[in-house]
Amino acid sequence: MLDFLRPGSLAALRFAATRGILCLVLLYGWRDAGGADGELLEGRVQKGLLALYDFDSSDGSIVKDRADGEQALDLRIADPKAVRHSADGLTIGGKTLIQSEQPASRLIRSIKQSGAIAIEAWVRPARLDQSGPARIVTLSRDANERNFTLGQEGDKFEVRLRTTKTSGNGIPSLASKPKSLRADWMHVVYTYNRAGRARLYLDGKLNAEQQIGGDLSNWNGELKLALANELSGDRPWLGAYRLVAVYDRDLSPAEVERNFRAGRDLAPPTAAELLARKSAANARLFETRIAPLVSQHCLECHDSVTRQGKLDLSHKSAALAGGEQGPAIVAGNPAESRLWQLVESDEMPHDRPPLSQVEKEQLKQWLEGGANWSLEAIDPAIYAHGGGPTKVFVQRLTVPEYIETVRGSVGVDIAKEARELLPRDLRADGFSNTAYNLNVDLGHVEAYANLAEIIVGRMDVKAVARKHTKSRELTDENVTQVIEPLGRRLLRGPLDKEEVTRYCGISTSVAAAGGNFEEAIRYILEAMLQSPRFLYRIESQRGDGSAGPLTPYELASRLSYLLWGGPPDDALLAAAEKQAFNRAEVEAQVRRMLEDPRAVARSRQFITEWLNLDRLENLRPSAERFPDWDARLAADMRHETLAFFEEIVWKQNRPLTDLLNAQITFVTPRLAKHYGLPLDNLPKGDEPVRYDLSSVPGRGGLLTQGSVLTVGGDDASTVTRGLFVMHELLRGVVRDPPPCVDTTPVPTKPGLTQRAIAESRIANQSCAGCHVKFEPLAFGLEKFDGLGSYHDTDEHGNKLRDDGNILFPGEETPVAFESSAELMELLAKSDRVRESFTWKVAQFAVGRPLGAEDAAVVADIHRDAQKAGGTYAGLMTAIVLSDLVQKARTEATASSSLDNTSSKDQSADQ
Amino acid sequence: MTHRTISRRTMLRGLGGVTIALPLLEEMLILRAHAAPEETKAPVRAFNVFFGLGVPAPLQQEGFDGVLEPLGPLRDKLLILRGVDQVRCDRSGMNAHYDGATGAFTAEPPDGEAKAGGPSIDQVVRKAHYPSGLPAGMVSTLVGGTFFRRSRVGRYVHSYNDDGTVAAVMQERPRDLFERVFGSIALSGDETDLRRRRLKRSVLDAVVDQYKSLAGSTSPLGATSRARIADHLERIREFEQRAYSLSRKDESAPNLPPPSQVAHGGEADPGGEGIDITLEELTTEWRLMADLYALAIQTDRVRFGSLTFLAAGERIRLKGNYAYAGRTVFEFDDAAQRRKSGSSGCSHEWWHEFDEKKKNEQLRAHAHLKLREVAHFLQQLAGPESVEPNGKTILENSLITISTESGDGRHNDVKRELSGIFHAVTGANGRLKTGQILDVGSEGIDVYNTMLEALDVSRRLGPANREFRRVEAMRA
Repeated sequence: MLDFLRPGSLAALRFAATRGILCLVLLYGWRDAGGADGELLEGRVQKGLLALYDFDSSDGSIVKDRADGEQALDLRIADPKAVRHSADGLTIGGKTLIQSEQPASRLIRSIKQSGAIAIEAWVRPARLDQSGPARIVTLSRDANERNFTLGQEGDKFEVRLRTTKTSGNGIPSLASKPKSLRADWMHVVYTYNRAGRARLYLDGKLNAEQQIGGDLSNWNGELKLALANELSGDRPWLGAYRLVAVYDRDLSPAEVERNFRAGRDLAPPTAAELLARKSAANARLFETRIAPLVSQHCLECHDSVTRQGKLDLSHKSAALAGGEQGPAIVAGNPAESRLWQLVESDEMPHDRPPLSQVEKEQLKQWLEGGANWSLEAIDPAIYAHGGGPTKVFVQRLTVPEYIETVRGSVGVDIAKEARELLPRDLRADGFSNTAYNLNVDLGHVEAYANLAEIIVGRMDVKAVARKHTKSRELTDENVTQVIEPLGRRLLRGPLDKEEVTRYCGISTSVAAAGGNFEEAIRYILEAMLQSPRFLYRIESQRGDGSAGPLTPYELASRLSYLLWGGPPDDALLAAAEKQAFNRAEVEAQVRRMLEDPRAVARSRQFITEWLNLDRLENLRPSAERFPDWDARLAADMRHETLAFFEEIVWKQNRPLTDLLNAQITFVTPRLAKHYGLPLDNLPKGDEPVRYDLSSVPGRGGLLTQGSVLTVGGDDASTVTRGLFVMHELLRGVVRDPPPCVDTTPVPTKPGLTQRAIAESRIANQSCAGCHVKFEPLAFGLEKFDGLGSYHDTDEHGNKLRDDGNILFPGEETPVAFESSAELMELLAKSDRVRESFTWKVAQFAVGRPLGAEDAAVVADIHRDAQKAGGTYAGLMTAIVLSDLVQKARTEATASSSLDNTSSKDQSADQ
Repeated sequence: MTHRTISRRTMLRGLGGVTIALPLLEEMLILRAHAAPEETKAPVRAFNVFFGLGVPAPLQQEGFDGVLEPLGPLRDKLLILRGVDQVRCDRSGMNAHYDGATGAFTAEPPDGEAKAGGPSIDQVVRKAHYPSGLPAGMVSTLVGGTFFRRSRVGRYVHSYNDDGTVAAVMQERPRDLFERVFGSIALSGDETDLRRRRLKRSVLDAVVDQYKSLAGSTSPLGATSRARIADHLERIREFEQRAYSLSRKDESAPNLPPPSQVAHGGEADPGGEGIDITLEELTTEWRLMADLYALAIQTDRVRFGSLTFLAAGERIRLKGNYAYAGRTVFEFDDAAQRRKSGSSGCSHEWWHEFDEKKKNEQLRAHAHLKLREVAHFLQQLAGPESVEPNGKTILENSLITISTESGDGRHNDVKRELSGIFHAVTGANGRLKTGQILDVGSEGIDVYNTMLEALDVSRRLGPANREFRRVEAMRA
């Protein structure tokens, strides 16, 4: 029996389903069951299993992959008439080909990353005279190119494996001993470990072994898995299959024997197991379709605050309890479900567009399937980008990353020229490193070319070349000796042969023009600096839409760009070369990297982007209202926030939420005066100095700094400030204003403060639903004017207050605060705010907005980060160790993406 | 007004500024002239022209007697569309300005803060008619505009790729647009050093090969990223063309346009509080931009793209005397008339206060001005210098869609905000009717798809399973 279908694993499955990570558990979670030496459980070895075929399919043309329910690599039989299904497996009676419809990308990625493989089969050859070798299992393109092939060569098994030491055809191969193959059921296992040792086992016993050497980094990621023939159709094999399995590790002799002893048959799933699968599928439907639907269409009126009809659909228990008209949801029975009745008749959503037909069908399907409400709460922030998979965009280096990459790769400071020549990166979804928005224009191409020349001009090219070869002769051999290590450093990983040839071509041109060795290296460097591998963070993205492991070099780059905003250093590249990225090694690397000043610089980029500090450069307050405004104050405010951040996060290593209530700041005398802070003991000059705020009422923490307070504009808008707190700290979601509301800002006047205006909006039934959620968040800031100065009265002499109440998203009851300081305390202690820090930092780290598909992973990151004290270092460590960083999202190829498009299209048609 | 219309002739004469040897306009014109005899058919072109803050639906009913007056002289070449419904573009929780603006020309709600929900009309036409790319040396998509509000890209960019990302970088300074279209790439060092040029070329060849490999079928990247790399490759090709192929320099090359006198970048949108600007500053900047854009089309350097006159939800405090056809239309002074500073003093607030029972004097004047400026751009393509071999003008031969964000001023109401969005479209070389004001009463998606169908484009915007409801009345 498969481990994940055993009772113990079912619990894990249910747990996984509740977290929306079903596919990942199916893919990887259960593979990790057991200790380092394999499973504790009896039966077949599961650890490292990537594909498993038991030939027990009822479908005549499909061979099901039973290793993974959702990301299965099923195989299609080209000519079903050539095969026969029976209780004894699948018999190939005539020439055919059984192949995966898509490249085996996930399998290839896993094996490339591990550097090891095991191929296992239970087969019965039809004859002893088949040769070619006749393909039993193959991952190849044609007769000349493969990653591996297990075949029959007469009375021997033969295995070809592509490594960096073998040919593209996997030669030299490893064959079993003569006459070792029989026309009877045989168990054959081939293993290859990272030390380059290949072994072939027959019926549980070692039959042959050989030192082949090399790693698997040169595997082709586009090949399909096939049985019974070569992909080109010219190496057929006849016989019977009972089992084929592929692992991303080398099985030990004991494990090979264990699988042999487990025999040829796999038990079918039990009724309970089938039920569990159905429930998990229903939960998946809830998480990917129903929860986004509820978030978009229902929560405006039926969240824990509004609860119209006393129905709260934002929390599981409340939703299942129903509203004043009784239960809203009856599992398995849509007709009895009030929710369905109202949605089907378009009575709900009230005063909003009805659900599309597709959405209705999904809702009905979910109710019929058991209405598995698998989340404790529906958080609208998670579904802001819908519930489905998002596109995978390659990441171009941002301007700061480019500068750091040049510095880290070749030691040249190009900051000034790069900032001058490169077009600016624009903000999207709050950050300017958002991959989808990092496109290129002619200006980029021109700038990259010019910058490459400037950079090379500043390099000591002679010295660079001398590191790798002593000869000055302009020969291919010499140039290659430089290209390979140089490319590995600049392009953040080894070059393949084609790339080396390409760069060598430049040296040929130089030679033809009568140039010398140094000149050739100079031009080669220019080409490398314009290469897509230099300007983009290239990772393998092809697959089935799932997340897969990274290659060691990809991981090294992720670590360095995430923590430093620059390229991997020698230590990271060395670890990648040794394929030494186990968890302990990654943790050690992160510790080392966090002690580097580059980590501080990267974190400063985060806070600058998050709070949009660049905005301060353009502050132009009304000269009439603020005649004392000094433009230098904008720079002071920026410095204040950055110095404060660095103090709390790095020097004091405090939790990130302390940024909201720490009683210190950094001010110049000018800024102190602007804030109305006592100037005693402040040194003169323009340098910001640390200032103790413990005796200053109202001020302390980011929200009380000019850099943030100015978001409200000259009028210190409670709407803008409230929305800032809501979006940036609470990750709240509000809808557009309802119809017929004049949103023109109302001016203050004697007897009418900003708060009074806000309260009138909150008292207005049309506005209250949303405004009550965010405007009070700004009440604690009322004493700060539009430029951050502190007052007890406004310009009309109205008395100002800083008390109020705060309603945290998802909560039912507001919490009162008496002062600005109390508001900051509440925010700093809020779990929601802690989570928001996690989401924001994680978004910046990975360079894309996070959504429903990331929610479970981010929740794990948050938990781990809080265990580590909630510090920036703890959070970054948790992010690095999470699947968000350790695994790469792949983009489904044509056939699967059609499914995605279709579902998106359907849901959009309303 | 200090503005001078830029035509091909005036450009060639020069404007008296500093002559810079960058532009190769003369050579480009020569190339075009050589190509002309072979090209008897007008090329397929599609442009999107956007103006911010729209024309409330009730005002559209007044036809050319109201704020649409400036379009009157072009009425025979335009099909005015009323009753275009873009409600499907509403994205809950997103600002209605942004929804409406990204929905213009795409008919889809936005996808995130800086992405449209799908491709824009111009890009769909481009892909369909030039699947292998535009002729060498052309700018594949030109995006330009004069605008100040910039909190989200969708407010001012109006050309989008299939994946909803922006199709080209916004050129917001006339000089930048000029260089983007007409500038050559000046390689560093001695340009007569042929050996050096050859070696530089070999570097570029190696770079091109790498991009080709990554954009190709054996790339490790997914389709979305491959498209991004392919875009980069296209830009390199353009770079290559300008750096190496356009080698004949003309000593009488035109001057760069004068530097911009208005704020750009973050300075143009100080914290969303708006800027003070005079009518002369605004129109001088815009007309230079519009004329250069038109020149790019006339010289056949550009066939696709978008042009923006003021962003969605634009925040300016305009000041100045506005005259049209010899009469004073209005004396702009938003801040004084609103008696407020900052964002509250901006013209944008007139739209908040729109009430069809009132005079809406300020809003009318602003909307009238916007259409005057849009008309100015269109006029550049309708004059004798824009006549093509088929005897029609570029304006008549092209598909130019004019749209905006707002249907009914009070943009706090999605239904009014996104219903009755003003649209006008040119005839696309006889494929669409012109000379009419049509009350289509249709969704924007059907209007756009009718236009695509008329241009023999098989692709339809919007959900794949949605039934296409052709707007027959638009077809010629």
